[in-house]
This record gives sequence, structure tokens and C-alpha cells, in this order.
Amino acid sequence: MPPIEHLYIHIPFCPKLCPYCCFYVEEGAKNKNRAFLDALLLELEKQNQIREVIPRTIYMGGGTPTSLLADQLAYLMEGLKTRLPLHQLEEWTVEANPATVRPEKARLLKEAGVNRISLGVQSWNDTTLKTLGRVHSSLQARKTVETLLGAGFASLNIDLMFSVPGQTLEEWEADLQTTLEIAPSHISAYCLTYEEDTDFFLKLSKGHFKQDEARDARLFELTMEQLEAGGYAQYEISNHARPGHESRHNIACWEGREYLGLGPSAFSTLNGERTQNVCDTAEYVRRLNAGMPPVHSRESLDASTLLKEKVAFGLRMATGVEEEHLDNWHAEKIHLLEIGLLERHDSRLRLTRRGKMLADAVGESFMG
Amino acid sequence: MSNDRIRNFCIIAHIDHGKTTLSDRLLEFTGTVEKRESQEQLLDAMDLERERGITIKSHPVAMTYKAQDGLEYQLNLMDTPGHVDFAYEVSRSLAACEGAILVVDAAQGVEAQTVANVHLAMKQELTLVPVINKIDLPNSDLPSVRRQLEEILAIPAEEAVLASAKAGIGITDILEAVVKRIPPPKGKAEDRMRALVFDSSFDTYRGVVVYVRVVDGSIKAGDVVKMMNTNRPYEVKEVGIFRPTNPKFVAQRELPAGSVGYVIANMKTSAEVKVGDTLTSSRLPATEPLPGFQEVQPMVFSGIYPINTADFEALKVAMGKLQLNDAAFVFQAESSVALGFGFRCGFLGLLHMEIIQERLRREFDMDIIATYPSVIYQVYKTNGEMVLVDNPEHLPDMSIVEEIREPMVRCFLMLPNEAISPIMQLILEKRGVLKHTESLDTRRVMLTIEIPLNEILVDFVDKIKSITRGYGSMDYEHAEHQASKLVKLDILVNGEPVDAFSSIVHRDKAESRGRALAAKLKEVIPTQLFTVPIQAAIGGKIVARETVSAQRKNVTAKCYGGDISRKRKLLEKQKEGKKRMKAIGRVNIPQEAFIEVLKTN
Ligand SMILES: Nc1nc2c(ncn2[C@@H]2O[C@H](COP(=O)(O)OP(=O)(O)OP(=O)(O)O)[C@@H](O)[C@H]2O)c(=O)[nH]1
Ligand SMILES: C[S@@+](CC[C@H](N)C(=O)[O-])C[C@H]1O[C@@H](n2cnc3c(N)ncnc32)[C@H](O)[C@@H]1O
Ligand code: SF4
Ligand SMILES: [Mg+2]
Repeated sequence: MPPIEHLYIHIPFCPKLCPYCCFYVEEGAKNKNRAFLDALLLELEKQNQIREVIPRTIYMGGGTPTSLLADQLAYLMEGLKTRLPLHQLEEWTVEANPATVRPEKARLLKEAGVNRISLGVQSWNDTTLKTLGRVHSSLQARKTVETLLGAGFASLNIDLMFSVPGQTLEEWEADLQTTLEIAPSHISAYCLTYEEDTDFFLKLSKGHFKQDEARDARLFELTMEQLEAGGYAQYEISNHARPGHESRHNIACWEGREYLGLGPSAFSTLNGERTQNVCDTAEYVRRLNAGMPPVHSRESLDASTLLKEKVAFGLRMATGVEEEHLDNWHAEKIHLLEIGLLERHDSRLRLTRRGKMLADAVGESFMG
Repeated sequence: MSNDRIRNFCIIAHIDHGKTTLSDRLLEFTGTVEKRESQEQLLDAMDLERERGITIKSHPVAMTYKAQDGLEYQLNLMDTPGHVDFAYEVSRSLAACEGAILVVDAAQGVEAQTVANVHLAMKQELTLVPVINKIDLPNSDLPSVRRQLEEILAIPAEEAVLASAKAGIGITDILEAVVKRIPPPKGKAEDRMRALVFDSSFDTYRGVVVYVRVVDGSIKAGDVVKMMNTNRPYEVKEVGIFRPTNPKFVAQRELPAGSVGYVIANMKTSAEVKVGDTLTSSRLPATEPLPGFQEVQPMVFSGIYPINTADFEALKVAMGKLQLNDAAFVFQAESSVALGFGFRCGFLGLLHMEIIQERLRREFDMDIIATYPSVIYQVYKTNGEMVLVDNPEHLPDMSIVEEIREPMVRCFLMLPNEAISPIMQLILEKRGVLKHTESLDTRRVMLTIEIPLNEILVDFVDKIKSITRGYGSMDYEHAEHQASKLVKLDILVNGEPVDAFSSIVHRDKAESRGRALAAKLKEVIPTQLFTVPIQAAIGGKIVARETVSAQRKNVTAKCYGGDISRKRKLLEKQKEGKKRMKAIGRVNIPQEAFIEVLKTN
């Protein structure tokens, strides 16, 4: 079996839970300890025995990996390096929250071999940050950017969010402009999703927040226009990069390649199966210490499911998909070409500008 | 128990006068249900009945009552619906009885269906036990109600029992009056068995359950019986009586002459049972069938189509089962360009139609859509030929149509005096003509009008109710067809005519209706991936246009690779949701649109 080339590591700790976020994370330090880090490393060792991991990309996300204390972070990086051959490594990303990065941690990460930071700025507007329940201020975010650049991270992503309640078109435009001035190598611009079981969702269902398709559409259009004009290519619906700075790890996931996920709630797609680990840090640690697999659910991916995903998610990328992948959906394909949501490019099909705005509807066409 | 200890009776009244509530009390007072078992409107067992607070089906139930004369009686009670559309239910139930409790609301007084139901009962020569109900209400007006009983119904006021079904007042008096005033059934035990089939239902475990009134002779398990209409013999598996709560069927050794109960034989399908037929012994058949019922003529027609064409057969089976329990519902296969294969269905009225559609959805879990209802038109062609048209799609080309005649009804409206002028305005709007005015007493009048059936279908009764604040009521009977300027109004969605939305309407109203429909559809059809024009057309000429603008944004951010399964499942679920919509061309139309169109006037 070929080695596993893509590795995701989930660090489920955050300084404070954001009211819109549905990732498995926890506040507080109860489980933020050596035992957890050892469990992570143990899970890696076990996987390594089943199928060797020679990573080309590593993505440490969460959660907020940088909310680990500096010595914990150092211990983890060291532990990973002794267990992983890194000669193939092209990209090692760590997600960071502006409130949790001091020069010491930045340096530590850099020295460990991390070459890309994804910073959760969300907005440069303090009112928007407050609505989002973020713990950092715009000033703090700026300083963190400087810290990271100062530490030598040439590859920097900034996460932004739009269609935040109360956010005006002008404010979003200003957020985009500020980001363009800072000129990171990569920008992820996410339209706020009201995820079930979040505070925001509750407020939406109670009518405190309102969704407005037309406004979302305008903001999304604006995003595409401005970032394109600023020299960023939209290589995926929400992801924009200067040439050569696309996230290789994410591309691999979206293309349906195999990857291994470590840590509580992490997904893996391996050997025709998608598994998810338990969404409970204490249980995760307990299972690994008891010699049990931390997997909580499995789904076997048959050829038709894989094809559906390949098409629906492949189309979210600028490169699109091979036309032959749509052979099963001839009528749908013709219709989508006719109404101008898909277009041909070489032997591939990709979304048009309007298609991008309706990517979920397009994806849905291929679910039957 | 001999015949003279049996009493068969219905409870009849105008809608909401308290029939079902009174049934609750009778069940309690006779100990048929324990207080703790009981819930309000116990006999309205269907969810739909409970939700809407109205009775839809007649409900037979047997009670044992120890009367003040010290003897035990078997009382077979039938609670009936009050709404006009279900008058047929009432008349069938009456046929199984010797008497009826006539309930009159002490505050509302005699209303249109009170009169209509009293006529039905008198035609069948039943003994009436008048009950003035709801005397607990502060606005009850006994002197008026008494006067109305005498003046409108010719019932001596002193016969009326005063009661409150809610407070349990007068219940024993009612039970005693039933025993003393209503005669026992007359049937002869020694004659050859004859039983009138007055209803039926389908039970998943036992098949067809036939509801009978045994007129002569008796039936027991093991007997071989036949339906006089079909002559097919069946062996009786079980006979018994009705209970209000589960188990609803209680087996008995036999059903004697004069009794009301059920028979389970080996009947498998709805086609084998016809309400109104006579059940007799196969070995010693009676020579004459019982009179049976007058066939009811459906008045309103509409197409019912499965959302998924594959469900056609399942829908057919469901309709058959429903028909067993609703003899007034008729259906026949038809097909439509836009909707595929489905059924043309006939109903007694709009509420009946709504109820059937809802029962198909709920009891049989069918995803269906229904076309705009139509009445039966007489279309005279230029060559002298006449065709009956109950589906706008079958309207011949107007160039060969000489004249279209539409069905009219004679309506009887009972109103408070002060409502006359706004009601007259409504009548005019609906193309009605006043024929006769009669004072009922110092405060109320009865208007007799002639009006196209088409105009009273949708919201006429509701409007009367709201104009009169609940004090107006209406009954109607069929009248002659009448020539009228009618046109076919088509609705085009994305350029394609959708026959489900077509209707035949008066020319003067066609345009405004077209505009209203187009506007309504724009509201209920969700945005699609492309712009969808909605047009209303009369004879090919577009009279209204609306546009459902294209969806602008439908894409969610996805923050990293992990949640692909979840995201895929979300898309799959969305796709599943679309399956519950009807795809017409490339446009997905939700079931709701077909329902909303009905309500547009
Ligand atoms: N105050 C008062 N309310 C009553 C009395 N009897 C019935 N009601 C109320 O009147 C309403 C209608 O009662 P039902 O028993 O459902 O009337 P119904 O005649 O069976 O109605 P349909 O079956 O729809 O024709 C309910 O809200 C009852 O609670 C009564 O004696 N007093
Ligand atoms: C997995 S989070 C981790 C980043 C880091 N914990 C932080 O928030 O600073 C990655 C990004 O997803 C985005 N995100 C999280 N929840 C979202 C939601 N409900 N809708 C849209 N974007 C969301 C935010 O921009 C966030 O920075
Ligand atoms: S958005 Fe980031 S910081 Fe906020 S709770 Fe989610 S993972 Fe944690
Ligand atoms: Mg009732």
C-alpha cells in the first residue's frame, strides 16, 4: 500500500467558544495536558503501523493549535518529528487565533518546520469582531500578522468572514481592502454559515438574526471582484491565493485524496472508508490508553459515493472536473451548461461566475 | 335481548352545536367509557377531526343503559357530521335508525343544517328528540330557540330537553327520552335475513369491515351470506358491535334483528362492497333488497396525481381503501400532460375534497398534488351535440362551442337582519340572484338565492360566517344549469401550460383571477436556478405575467476537508426534498403551490 501523504491534526482547544462555530472544541484547560498530546502521538504510531505515513502536507487545525502552551506545543512538534519522516514535506500549516500568538510561539513553530500559518482574523472591524464573539481586537490581529511575518512565515493565510449580522457592505469592503494592503499570500473568505446547534443558529430561528440571499450574493460578488483585482486567484469557492500559494493540503482533501486525521472529531478518508474519531477529548484519550481505536463512526465509500463527491466538490475548485466524470448525469450537465452555470474548459467542466454563486444547487444535481 | 330493548338513533344538528360533546356525555353516563378513559370529543377519532374540531365521519357505537324503569337497553348511537358536504353521511346513518336526537345550540338557535337535517329525518319518518344544548352559555336565549323550533321546524317546544353537554346537565333526561320516545326496531326475527350496508372501513388485519343494520333475521359467524348486488357468497368470520375506544370492534355471538353492528367476511377489496347494498343469507336469500340509498352525485371534481409517477398503483390502492370508508368519493384514472398519470376524482364539496386529500396524505402516506377543482359544465357545440366537461382540459375548442351552461344551486341563507345588505353585496359579487326573502322571526331572515355552484365552492361559507360573526348559515340544493359567459383560464409556468392550474371562469372575472393566480404562484414557487415566467392566458392571449427571479446565491462555505460527508449528506437531503416537489419541465413546484392556488380568489 502506498504511504499516507496528507495528515490532519485536530487540536480541540479554544480560548473562548465562538457563537457561530460548530467544530468540536472545548474551552478551558481540563484536557489540555500531556496525556492528550501523548494520545495524539499514540494514535499516529498506531496508524503508522497499519499504513506508513510519509506526509507531503500536514495541517494542524481545530480548534486553535496555538492555544496550547509554548512547552506543550514544543513537546507536540518534537513528538511529531520523531515519528514522521519529513523529507517529502511540502506544506505544514498551523491554524492560529490572533489572541494566542506571541513571538515565542511563532518562532517555535517556524523552527519546528511549519511553513504556513492560517490566521483567524475574521474581520478588521471591532464591532464585527464583537458580534462574532471573538477574543481579539483588530489591533491585536495586526500585531500578530507582524509577529508572524517577523518570524519569517512567507506563506500566510488570513481567514475572513462576511454576511455577519450587522455588517454593512462598506464594512466588508473595508475588511477586504485592509487585507489586500497587508497582502498575505492566501485569503479565505467565508460567508457565515448558520450551523445547527450554535448560538447563532438559535438566534436566526428566533428571528433575532435575518438571512438575506440578495445581500449575501452582493457581498460574495464583491469578494470575488476585489480579490481578483488584488491579484488573488479564486482557486476554490472561499479560497483565494497568490499564484503558487494555494493550500495543497486542502486541495488534496477536496480532490478526494486519502488523508489521515488525528485527534478527537477528526475525519480520515482512507482505504475506501471515511471515519470520524469520537467528539470527546477525555474519551479519546481513554480509548487510546486502553488500546482501543478512537473511531466513533465509519462510512464506507462506494464508487458511486466517491464519484458524487468528486464531482460536487471538485466543481468547487477553479480547475473543475474531467467532463467524463459527469457521464452519469448527462441531462443535468446539458441543463447546467444551457442555463450558464457550467462551462467547458479544455476537456474539463467548471463553474461559471454565476455557477459559483449557486455551487450547492449545482452540487445537488449530482446527488441522485 | 329482544327487539323492544334496542334503540337505534342518530345525533343530528347544525355544525358545532355539540353533537360529539353530547355523545361524550352519553358514553360516560351509560358507563360505556370510564371517566378516566374519556377525552373531549372522543368519537372524533381521526386526527383530522380532532385538529379541525369537526366530525367528518358518522361514528356508530353501542351502549348499555339501565333505564329508570329498571330494564337494560342496548342503545346504538351514531354521531354524525354537521357540515353540508357530509349530509350524505347523515342520511345513511338515519337509514339505520328509528329516531334522532336533534341538537340545537341555545345561543345560535335553528340554523341551515338544523333545518336540512330535520327534513332528512322526517323523510325517513324518524322520531325526533329535540335537545336545546349549551344552556350554560351566558348568551343562550331559550325563548327564541323554543319559538324557532315551533315556527321553523314545527316541533312542539315543550318536547325539547334542556341540556348542557359540556356541563353534563340534562343527560339522564335525554337518555330517558330516547328510551321512552324512540320506538324499538320493527324487524322480524323469523324472516329471512336482510341487513342494510350503511358504511364500511378497511382494517389492515381483518380486511373489509361492513357496517350493517340488521333489518330481518339475524347474522352470526359461520353463516354464508351474499351481497344482493353482486351475488358473491362469503362466509361470515365475525360479527359484533362498535366500541368508542380500542378495541373498536367487539365480537358478539350474533347480530339480532333490529341491531346495528359489523360483519367481517372474506371481502378483500373495496370493489366488493357497495354501501346501500343488502346483505342476505346465501342459502335462504330474501327476494327483495332493502331500499338502499339514492346515489350521490359528486359536485366538485379535481385531479389527484402522485408526485412520483411510480406511486400511481399505490395511490390507486389507497383510494380504493378510502372509498370503502367514504362511499361518496369517486375516482377514475386520467392522465395529464404536465402531471403524468393520476385520477379524476369527484367530491361532494370542497371540504370533502380537502379531507380526502388530507386523508390520502396522512393515513396512506401519499405525496400527492391536486388540480384546481371544477364543477360539471354542459357544453353545447355548434353541431348540436352536448358534452359534459368536468375538467378544463377537456373543454372543446371555443370555435366550435355554441354555449356553455354551468350548474346552479339554490341556496338558503339564514341571517340576522342587519347582515342583509353586506350579504347581498357578496351575492352580487358571486353572480347570485335573490329569489325570495322570508322573515323567520323578528331578528332573522331566510334568503333564497340562485347562484352558480362554481362561485360558492371556495370561500362563500367562510365569508358568510365572517360577515355575520358566526350567526349566518347556509344550505343548498341543486338547480338547473344556466348558460353563462365562461372561458378557460390557463396558467403557463416557464412557457408551459400547467393543467393543474387551469380553470373555467366567468369572462368578467377571468383577468383579475389570472392576475391573482400569477401573483400567488410567484409567491409560493421557490426561486429556481433560472428566471421563471408565470403567465395567465385566456384563449392564447396573455393577460397577466409575473416572474420568479432566479436564485442568486446558494453556496455554503466549507472550512476544511473533514466535513465532506456531512456536506454531501446535506446536498443529498436537499435533493430528497426536491423529490417532494412536482417537476414541471425544469421547474420544481411544491405541493403547497397546488393548495395555495385553491385559496386564491
Ligand atoms: N358552553 C358549551 N359549549 C359546548 C357545549 N356542547 C358543546 N360545546 C362546545 O361546542 C363546540 C362544538 O362541539 P362539538 O361537540 O364538536 O360539535 P359538533 O356538533 O359535534 O360539531 P360537528 O361534528 O363539526 O358538526 C366545542 O367547542 C364544544 O366544547 C355545551 O353544552 N356548552
Ligand atoms: C476551523 S476554524 C479555525 C480557526 C481558528 N480557530 C479561529 O477561529 O481563529 C477555520 C475558520 O472557519 C471559519 N468559520 C468557522 N465557523 C464558521 C461558520 N459558522 N461560518 C463561516 N465560517 C466559519 C472561520 O473563519 C475560521 O477562522
Ligand atoms: S471559530 Fe475558531 S476560535 Fe472560534 S470556536 Fe471555532 S475553532 Fe475555536
Ligand atoms: Mg361532531
